[in-house]
This record gives sequence, structure tokens and C-alpha cells, in this order.
Amino acid sequence: MPRASGADMAEDALRARDVRKTYRTRGGPAVEALRGVSLSIRRGERVALLGRNGAGKTTFLRIASTLLLPTAGTVEVLGHDVAAEPDAVRPLIGVVPQEGKPFFHLTPREQVYAYLRARGVPREEAHRKTEWALGRVGLEDVADRLAITLSGGQKQRTMVATILATEAPLLFLDEPTIGLDPFARRAVWETLRQLARAGSTILLTTHYLDEAEALSDRLYIVEEGRVLAEGTADSLKRQVGGTIRVSVKDGAGIADRLGTYGSTVTEDGTVHVVTGEEKVGEIVDLAMKRGLSATVGPVTLEEAFLRVVGRSIDED
Amino acid sequence: MAFVRRWKGTGVFLGTELRMTLHDPLAIASSALVEGILLVFVWVLARDLLPFALLGSLVYSLFLIGQYVLSEAAYIRIDHRLNEMYHASPLSPEAYFLGMASGIGIGYIPTTLALFVLALVVVPMTAAGFVAILGVLLAVWTISASIAYTISTLFKDMKAIWPWASLIANVLGVVPPVFYPLDRWPVEWRSLALVLPTSGGAALAEAAAGILPLAQDEVVLAATALGLEALVAFAFTVWWSHRSAREA
Repeated sequence: MPRASGADMAEDALRARDVRKTYRTRGGPAVEALRGVSLSIRRGERVALLGRNGAGKTTFLRIASTLLLPTAGTVEVLGHDVAAEPDAVRPLIGVVPQEGKPFFHLTPREQVYAYLRARGVPREEAHRKTEWALGRVGLEDVADRLAITLSGGQKQRTMVATILATEAPLLFLDEPTIGLDPFARRAVWETLRQLARAGSTILLTTHYLDEAEALSDRLYIVEEGRVLAEGTADSLKRQVGGTIRVSVKDGAGIADRLGTYGSTVTEDGTVHVVTGEEKVGEIVDLAMKRGLSATVGPVTLEEAFLRVVGRSIDED
Repeated sequence: MAFVRRWKGTGVFLGTELRMTLHDPLAIASSALVEGILLVFVWVLARDLLPFALLGSLVYSLFLIGQYVLSEAAYIRIDHRLNEMYHASPLSPEAYFLGMASGIGIGYIPTTLALFVLALVVVPMTAAGFVAILGVLLAVWTISASIAYTISTLFKDMKAIWPWASLIANVLGVVPPVFYPLDRWPVEWRSLALVLPTSGGAALAEAAAGILPLAQDEVVLAATALGLEALVAFAFTVWWSHRSAREA
């Protein structure tokens, strides 16, 4: 369950209670993008909203960053209501929008500096912070190249450097690595880890499970505008019913027996059993006696995610 | 104090926009294309209309500069999503709008300056006429940039915006008597031409330069319309910039 109600407000960088958003379309049916989201983020914490496309992650992030009004419910950022006090909230946050790109005709140095100045940072301080942020994300070598000539990863790191330089207490990143290649993704991950080490509180949205696991202290799984589960990656994996997955190839004939060791899923004739470490030996023995091969591995966040979201879809 | 705070950052965003505009000198050079071509046509076909065409092209160039705000604001919003980064910051939406419009205005001003110098050579004018023309140009730019910014917030696709930019520039800039004298326009529609920001502005500029005879009540009509339009367009856009920065 989300921990919003029990949270200590003084420690919370963000607190959302029963946030709802309904989009009314002209002539079409109303779309419920958020259906009562409650969550909280402690200061210094890195939290990921994990969900499929259209789950409501971006809608929540836009509400929390004062860009969208909720239909109902409240979001407080460092004690300020985002709907009632947007002017008090905005100096406290930094936002990297989904698929946001830097100004192509500015250099990273110009982009970061200009953004700081627009936020009201004095000249000298803006220069200092710009150099610091560019250094933190490793863009010194390309700091004077027009952004249009940079790679996708460098452009994204420019965006991250821009909000890093603000030293805002709460940072929002909406799908920060969408569309990037694996190398660029990892470069951005490292940049985000730098942000965390700098003490920033981060709320990021992603549909990449590895990203959520690598970058966040805690996750919220969001589906169809609702929070389905909350916890650390490990605690979510434990919700699956075990920590080890044993996959028995062509094991459909012994699926019933395998089911006695834990929860099972059959996929292309392979039976996956999620179980505890103590039962792994027995399952492997059983498979070998039947001449079947078995592979053993840890339960992944993907399995936890599919289990949680799949259960929700089944219930609907 | 709150009023000053609302506009704080305008100059900085102006600088940002100006820097970007100057990174693209070809766009600045090509901004003179329409006016240049029309002036060549007039020079070849009806040289006696050149003073009108020159003052009209001055008005049109400012109108067109305002229209560049449409493409730029939409591009930043749709392609780069940077408006969200700025709107979720202490920079106010009105400072964002005015900074962008002013930055583009200054970036593209060389075309207008060149036309102004040419106009001064061809049409000698008094100091009062000079000041009046400056006022007209400022009003035309304000109206155009304001309308452009508002329109830029209404679409989710760049392709949907391009026809609007072209439509506005041609319907308001080329069809009415901007590049040609008001007396070549149907008499029964003369009042309409005077209240349109482009043709009304051109008529006022030509009257200020002493090449177009305008009755006193016509001057009052055109000047009042232009002033009111500038005021209303700017005030509406300031309000709308707030409204659109945060979706309901």
C-alpha cells in the first residue's frame, strides 16, 4: 500500500492524496487518466513511477510540476499545494519533460546558463553553476558545440545538466532515456546517479524495468491511473511469492507437480516456477528424473511487474 | 512589486531567443524575400507606386517578424517540449512570451532597418512622421506577435500550424492595400482596410510620410483601431499565456 497517509510531512518532498484527473474530450467519452493516486517521496529519495504507456505516469508528473490541474485530490511539494501555490512550488522544482530536447541552436553551455538566468540566478552564480553541472555530467568537451551536432545521449545529458544546475530540491524526469541506445542510456543513468549523490530528490517515470530498478530507491507500479504496488525492487519481487525462478523446458506434463512448489506460469511449453531457495533442489531433481532440462535464476522485476499488472488486468 | 516580478526574466529570455536567431543567418536573410520580390515587381511594373510599396513593405516586415513567433513558439513547444521546462520554473509565462517575441523581433530587425533606410531615401519625411511610423510599426509587431503566440498554443502538430502562418501573412499582409495605395482598394471597403492592422498601419505610415491624403476622421479611425488592437491583442495574450501554461 502507498505510504502517503502515514508519512511524516516534514520529511516528505512530495505528498499526493487521492489525485484524480479526467480529460473531457469534445464529443467523445471522458478519459480517466488518474483514478485516485496517493504517494509520497521523502527528501533525498529517488522514486520511480513504473507503468505501461498510458498508465498515467506523465499525467501525474505534469500535475506535480504545476503544468496541469488535477480534477480532484491534492499534491504538496515541500509543503506547498501545487494547485493553489504554483508560484511557491516552481522555484523548488526542475523538470525534464518527456522527449524534451535542448535548443538546437544553443550550445550546452549557453543552454544551461540561459535557463539559470531565466530562473533568476545572478550572472556570476549562473556561470559557476553552469560549469559545475556540465562537469558533473561529463559534457565539458562538447560544451561549446551547438546542440544540433550532439548525439542523442549528449542532448539528453544537456537536459539533465540544465536542471542539475538549478540545484532545485525536487527534480522530475519524465522517461529520461526514451529512444536512446543502450550506451547513451547508461551514460544518462550515471548522470542521474550523480544527481542523487548531489542530494537531489528525484521522481522519474519510466516503462523500462531495468531503469526503474537501477535508478530508484523505491517504485510505484502504476496501471490505468491507479497505484497497484509500492516498495523497493526487492520487496516487489518478493510479492511474486519467491525469490528464485526455475524454468522447466517442456514441463507441461508435470505442471501440476511443479505447482506444488510455488506459483507457475507456462510459456511456449516451458513452465516457470517461482519458489524459495530451499525448494530449488527438489524441482531440479524432479525435472532431471523426467529427462527435462531446468534452468535456475533470480526473480526479476519484470516478473513482479507482469504479475502485479496482469493480476489487475485479470480483475478488471 | 508583484508586477515587476512577473516580467522579470523577459530580458534574459530575449537574449536566449536572440542568440538562437543569430545562429541562423540564412533565415534572417530569407526573411526579406517576400518584400524584396514585391519591391522588384513594383520597381519594374509601376515605379510611381514604389514609395507606397516601400512603406507597405516596412509594415509587412514587422507583421512577418511577429508571425515568426508562431513557428518558434510552436517548435519549442511541440518539437522540444522546452516550454514545460520554463513554465515549471519561476519564469512567468508572460515573460516567456514577451522575451521570445522581442528576441525574434530584434534578431530579424536588419530587414526592417534596411527597408527603413531605403524608405527614408525614397520618401523624405519629417521628424513627426518618422516617430509616427515607428509607433505604427511597434503596434503592428505587437498585434502580430500576440496573435501568433496565441495560435501557437492551440495545435499539437507543426504541420497543422504552417497553413495558419501562411494564411494570416497573406490574408492580412498581401491582399489588403499594404503594398499598394489605399485608393486602389474598393471604396466601399475603405473602412475595413483602415481597421485591419496591416493595411491600416500602412495607410497611417503613408499619411505620416505625406504621400497618402487621409481625412482627419480616417486617421482617427485607423489610429484608434490600431492602438486598440495592439492593446487588446497584447492583454489577451498575456492572459492566455498564463492560461495555456497550465492546462485545466
